[in-house]
Amino acid sequence: MAEVVVDTPVPPRSTVGDESRDWRKALTGVGLLAPAIVIAIIFSIIPLIYLINVSLTRESTFFFNNPQYTFDNYRLIWNRYLPHVWTTIRLATLASLFCLIFGYPFAYILVRKVQYRDLVRILMTFPLFGPLYLTYGIRFVFGVNGPLAPLFDFIGVDSRTLLFAYPEQMTIFGMAVFTFPFMVMNVVAALTNVDPTLEEAARTLGSRPWQVFTRVLFPLSWPGVLAGFLICFGWNLGVFIVPMLLGNIEQQRVLSLALYQKAMSQFDYGLGSAMGVVLMLLAFTVTWLSLRFSRGALAT
Amino acid sequence: MSETTAIGGPSRFRSSGRWLTSGLQHAYIWLWMALFVLPFLTTVYRSLEDPKGGYSFEGYRFAFGSFQDALILSLQTTIVTIVLNILISIPAAYAIVRYPIPGKRTILAALNVSLYTPGAVMGLSLSLLFAYRLSSIQGSFWALVAAYVVGTFPLMLIPVIVALRDLPTVFGEAARTLGAGRWRTLLRVEIPLLGPGITAGILLTFVIVFNEFLVTLFIAGKGNQTAALTIYNILARAGFAPSTAALASIMQFTSFVVVLLFFKVFGSRYLKGTYLG
Amino acid sequence: MARVTLQDVTKRYGDTVAVDRVSAEIADGEFVTLLGPSGCGKTTTLRMIAGLVELTSGHIRFDDQLMDNVPTHKRNIGLAFQSHALFPHMSVAKNIAFGLTNRRAPRAEVQAKVEEMLDMIEMTGMGDRMPSQLSGGQQQRVALARMLATDPRVLLFDEPLSALDRNLRDTLKYSILELQRRTKKTAIYVTHDQSEAFAISDRIMVMNQGRVEQAGTQLDIYLRPETEFVANFVGDNNTLQGTVRAIEPGTDGIREVVVDCSGMTVRAIAPADLAAGDAVSVFVRPEHIEVLPDGSREGQDGVLRGKIVQLVFEGPTLRMTIDADGVPLHVSVSGTERLALLDQANASVWVELRNPSVVKNPPAV
Repeated sequence: MAEVVVDTPVPPRSTVGDESRDWRKALTGVGLLAPAIVIAIIFSIIPLIYLINVSLTRESTFFFNNPQYTFDNYRLIWNRYLPHVWTTIRLATLASLFCLIFGYPFAYILVRKVQYRDLVRILMTFPLFGPLYLTYGIRFVFGVNGPLAPLFDFIGVDSRTLLFAYPEQMTIFGMAVFTFPFMVMNVVAALTNVDPTLEEAARTLGSRPWQVFTRVLFPLSWPGVLAGFLICFGWNLGVFIVPMLLGNIEQQRVLSLALYQKAMSQFDYGLGSAMGVVLMLLAFTVTWLSLRFSRGALAT
Repeated sequence: MSETTAIGGPSRFRSSGRWLTSGLQHAYIWLWMALFVLPFLTTVYRSLEDPKGGYSFEGYRFAFGSFQDALILSLQTTIVTIVLNILISIPAAYAIVRYPIPGKRTILAALNVSLYTPGAVMGLSLSLLFAYRLSSIQGSFWALVAAYVVGTFPLMLIPVIVALRDLPTVFGEAARTLGAGRWRTLLRVEIPLLGPGITAGILLTFVIVFNEFLVTLFIAGKGNQTAALTIYNILARAGFAPSTAALASIMQFTSFVVVLLFFKVFGSRYLKGTYLG
Repeated sequence: MARVTLQDVTKRYGDTVAVDRVSAEIADGEFVTLLGPSGCGKTTTLRMIAGLVELTSGHIRFDDQLMDNVPTHKRNIGLAFQSHALFPHMSVAKNIAFGLTNRRAPRAEVQAKVEEMLDMIEMTGMGDRMPSQLSGGQQQRVALARMLATDPRVLLFDEPLSALDRNLRDTLKYSILELQRRTKKTAIYVTHDQSEAFAISDRIMVMNQGRVEQAGTQLDIYLRPETEFVANFVGDNNTLQGTVRAIEPGTDGIREVVVDCSGMTVRAIAPADLAAGDAVSVFVRPEHIEVLPDGSREGQDGVLRGKIVQLVFEGPTLRMTIDADGVPLHVSVSGTERLALLDQANASVWVELRNPSVVKNPPAV
């Protein structure tokens, strides 16, 4: 193992040799990083700068010789498209809460009780293949003559109108199934670090099961829960296909869909980009929060 | 001791209560596993329905016939992206873990920006870039690859960083004391030991890029429709058809086989700290 | 095989000094141990010899060849790591062959050498095993074979046994010594374990705070510590304060120092730098304090009267604390006479301090 460096007073001497070596090393490092940095700048940072730039121009005048700079797009969002912003946040919040409420017990059982964990992990990758196939499949599952139709008919829900009768619920469900694995993995990581003997200790000290949960388990797994919630939230902010296939006009107001329609169908690049900037700001705020709370998971 | 015989009744009652709880817990897990798989299985079932009634492989014949180009394009873009991700991420991971670079955290955050950008925002901003500055590659194969690389190389970078950080420096030092130069140490000792981390990155890239449709929707040219985008386009225009169900089944099945192979060979520990693990 | 010379070797990290002007000459075929607490700079020194850490200043030579700018992989050394550092993705045979293939040795020669090495570590026929399939002792033996396979000029050991359990440590340290004796290679061994250092070294260098405090044979370091640190780090010692009364030519021409200390007189071999009137520390090992049967020798050099205030029977040894006029003395008795002392708590006894050593106190700050 590395020696602990001991501090002893010594007359100062020039350390030019060390410094130049460090510089050379740093330069090599930057060289190794260069391809990644160049790619990220050209295809991620610069496009986002363009996005901001375009959002400050009227319609598609950015591509003309003299673009017309204006704040109108943001004014328009404030005046007319605020419900779109709220729908985006509302759906993301509800879907992430759904994940939390159903994902926490799932993670707990998985960590403490289940032997066939790898099977669960493997099956859990299906939603990760993307919301497109998932939503597509959910349409079939809850559609007419779907595999669950007899079940719904049995409990008195009309399976033929199910898909269209509950657009918001279906949308939230679809979003939640997609992000469920993210929640579970974060809570699993947090719970794995909670020593089971702490639960046993709480029980021997007379705690009831729900007290064990509220006083020991939840406080100790809280950072993972928060990280999981924020990651789910981040994904759900960008939702596109789920409301398109499962929701109605109200859910389809989400920003991703709206900006696609504005920019790519109506060629109002200015407004579409402004929506993109708003969505980006929301997503980055969430990312920033989740990195703050789950310090060390990815960064350092 | 013979506690059970002494107070047989209540104890049996209690243990049956425990059985019930445990049974419910497992049922809950299986319910969710069913929810994960059911959409896929139903899609497969629908893909086998013949529009003219009964069941057939007509959908698959159609998918492999008319969607062949799309499938091939999906595989090509995925493979090229994986190769580029490896070439970009391994040196970058070395730089970040082993070299004294000022502002490391900021650089890492900047590299990860694309990972946190919602797909539609990335798609729109890239389409602006290609329309305004890079019209030479607008709508081309390389435009797709560029978008995929920038969106997924952090998914390769992170597992490699994790693996490199977990890799004790002692192996490299041992190799050097045994007379191995820098390249030999890298190729014979360090990269093989990083293998599982790199493979985790490959898996993540594969799963994401192979199934990407949203960014693609914004930037793909007319002749460059990937399989996932094709599914989206047909859905948006023509609704649900057995042939798209077949294509969706093929895509998910392929992805699943790749995931299974990974778990079989490497187990799940190298996915820690990443997207899947 | 080589003579290793360190000349004012220094390593600084920013403002902190890890190794401070260490100079040493290690003869061809000599087995030298760097002994010291963690953080004393011994591992950094070893890693500088291996070329894994760059020198801030000073020079390292193998024979007369200056090594300062020779990269590790061209030094032809063997280094045994604390963790065995076997490559987990290579078989035992591949591990042993690694250094040889780096030198582009012909295949047949590599194979023969691997077989020879496996025979040497008594693991014949186990070349196909993976490191993870071996026991801790076998892993460390393969690591030794791997470092010896390339016939290195210098063997370096970085606490190679510290991760192993006690029994294994005892057998392996003699295997290491035996291998070194057989190959007659220069060996530099780093450890914080003094019994290990005493068991295998030709010479020990005690390090503290980046400096060499004392270099010498086991007996030198045990009986004649030159600094307070060495006296306290190597084994236990009682420390008494005294003043030099005189320096006298003793028997055999060795100068003797006479010290007044705690109301008695103590004689010891005189270090070079002492003069009458100097304040000194007198060190006496607990095992060198003898309990006298009676007070007949009271008043002689090194004889004190005291009271037993604490008795701890540890089986092979009896540990006592004796209060000699306010000075607590730790005494350890291993002979059969310890049994007679068992019921002597609070008794008055006479003790004789033998083999004391004297170190001049550093000037008060």
